[in-house]
Amino acid sequence: MANKNTLSYEFVKGLWDQNPILKQVLGTCPTLAVTVSALNGIAMALATTFVLTFSSLIISIVRKIIPNQVRIASYIVIIATFVTIVDYVMKAAFPDLSKALGPYIPLIVVNCIILGRAEAFASKNSPIRSVLDALGMGAGFLLALFILGSIRELLGSRTILGYQILPDFYTPWLVMILPAGAFITLGLLFGLVNLYNLSKESKKKSEIIKQYLEQNQQDKINLAEEN
Amino acid sequence: MKNVIQMLIVLTVIGIISGVSLSEIAIWANPKIAVNRAKETEKAIYRVQPKAKSFKKVDKIDLELYQVFDENNLPIGYAFPYEGNGFQGKIRLIVGLNDSLSVISRVEILEQVETPGLGSKITEESFLKQFIDLLTSPQIEWVKGSPPNKPNEIQTITAATISSKSVVAILNDGINKLKKLKEKGEI
Amino acid sequence: MELILIFLSAAIVNNFVLSYFLGICPFIGVSNKISSAFSMGMATTFVMSITAIVSWLIYNEILLPNNLDFLQYVSFILVIASLVQFVEMVIKKVSQPLYRALGIFLPLITTNCAILGLALFIVLKNYSFLDSIFFGLGAGVGFTIAITLMAGIREELDLADVPPSMKGVPITLITAGLLALAFMGFAGMITI
Repeated sequence: MANKNTLSYEFVKGLWDQNPILKQVLGTCPTLAVTVSALNGIAMALATTFVLTFSSLIISIVRKIIPNQVRIASYIVIIATFVTIVDYVMKAAFPDLSKALGPYIPLIVVNCIILGRAEAFASKNSPIRSVLDALGMGAGFLLALFILGSIRELLGSRTILGYQILPDFYTPWLVMILPAGAFITLGLLFGLVNLYNLSKESKKKSEIIKQYLEQNQQDKINLAEEN
Repeated sequence: MKNVIQMLIVLTVIGIISGVSLSEIAIWANPKIAVNRAKETEKAIYRVQPKAKSFKKVDKIDLELYQVFDENNLPIGYAFPYEGNGFQGKIRLIVGLNDSLSVISRVEILEQVETPGLGSKITEESFLKQFIDLLTSPQIEWVKGSPPNKPNEIQTITAATISSKSVVAILNDGINKLKKLKEKGEI
Repeated sequence: MELILIFLSAAIVNNFVLSYFLGICPFIGVSNKISSAFSMGMATTFVMSITAIVSWLIYNEILLPNNLDFLQYVSFILVIASLVQFVEMVIKKVSQPLYRALGIFLPLITTNCAILGLALFIVLKNYSFLDSIFFGLGAGVGFTIAITLMAGIREELDLADVPPSMKGVPITLITAGLLALAFMGFAGMITI
């Protein structure tokens, strides 16, 4: 079990333990919307990570100067500023991706992950930890988006990242590209994660019960020997 | 009181920094965005008018219209981007027409959000090639379930009738507007 | 007539939750009881309608004429945050039990992608002032319909034998997918 106070844990925890989508159920709007293909998912995750990292950095640096009552308003302005920057840069340098992701780039402003991390972490921790936390959360977000995007792209268009994987005779499941497919796939993904967690928990429980029973047996033997 | 002043100062400073950095980004990005748009339009124009060697935007009219010329700088027709409502949302297309607006050279779909796999088939060559050399008088017509038998008629896509009909409606609407302008001598 | 179409389109045919994935967080979070779902829907509809009006005014009367287009996102989100703060104060004064029932989800309306999404769509589709009002109302009503329908289904699901790994978020999402599938039947009824 990783030492929870090391710097590296601040990064790693975002990948699984506190994965923003799969564990904390944050940021589901863009997750469902842009994962029609793996590439779109990756692009969205990178854009979000950019905003997340820089906002966390700035908020952490100025956290002691901002009075409590105006902190939410300040965070919002800072986040919205970085989102605008990302939006303009994408429109200028990557116009095709910008069109594919559409209105979901500006919606990064209300991505609960960013405000959530700002409130829960960046406002209370040093810049270095905040940046690592942000990068970790971003990486976890990227992982989840890539997985969801790949599944939907594979089953819906036979390709992953544009490379055809499934043979031609496989008829694509159009529903995967539509909203219904997004909901259902994400739901099943969550179900899988839960299944894994539940089985881990029940394994732990049976371990504890086994130990208790063994100890019980041992106590009985000791008692018998004494008599 | 000191708290209120501190709040105001912090908010103002954040506001100013945000405003300034954003206006700088906008100044850097806007020209590039305009160039991107122009490049896209240019590509689309040459796709619907493959014989064209140059083009020029037509001024003084309400619509976006480009006149295209051959290698001797003689006008050979127009490239006309237009948009309208489809089945699921907006369809934006560009149509190449000859000088008298009577024959279509080609149609390309620029933007659409139709049902993937069904309505989105309007972007496929099998549908679009019907518009090559299609006559526009009295207007473009469609037929369902059987091949077209008139020079101004196309066949709708099976299971994508509404999307196909929308494309025809958008073309008729736009071309009629152009024909009216031609009658008035404005183009 | 067109205004009614815009309203119906936003509410049903292009439902914000089931077609555009906006407003998922409260959709999952507050849809476990019909009463709280409906109240959340009403509060959101109210905020949405006013947001539609205010954001249209800000964009068309202040930002555009002064070439301040790049301040779009910052100004919209600030407006939304203030509106939600205001609604929160009003509800607190008017009905304490409602305030307690909605709890943390009231301030969370601020990060409801549906509200910012509404403002952005209005700009994108170049709606007129009147169009925007009906669009905002329609979007809110659509959100309320979706979240209340969901709550109704979930109340029944509570009594059903859901496998343990699927309880909670997974089964909610799958149900939402089936709802989305059902709403697809409305597609093409209104082309706006």
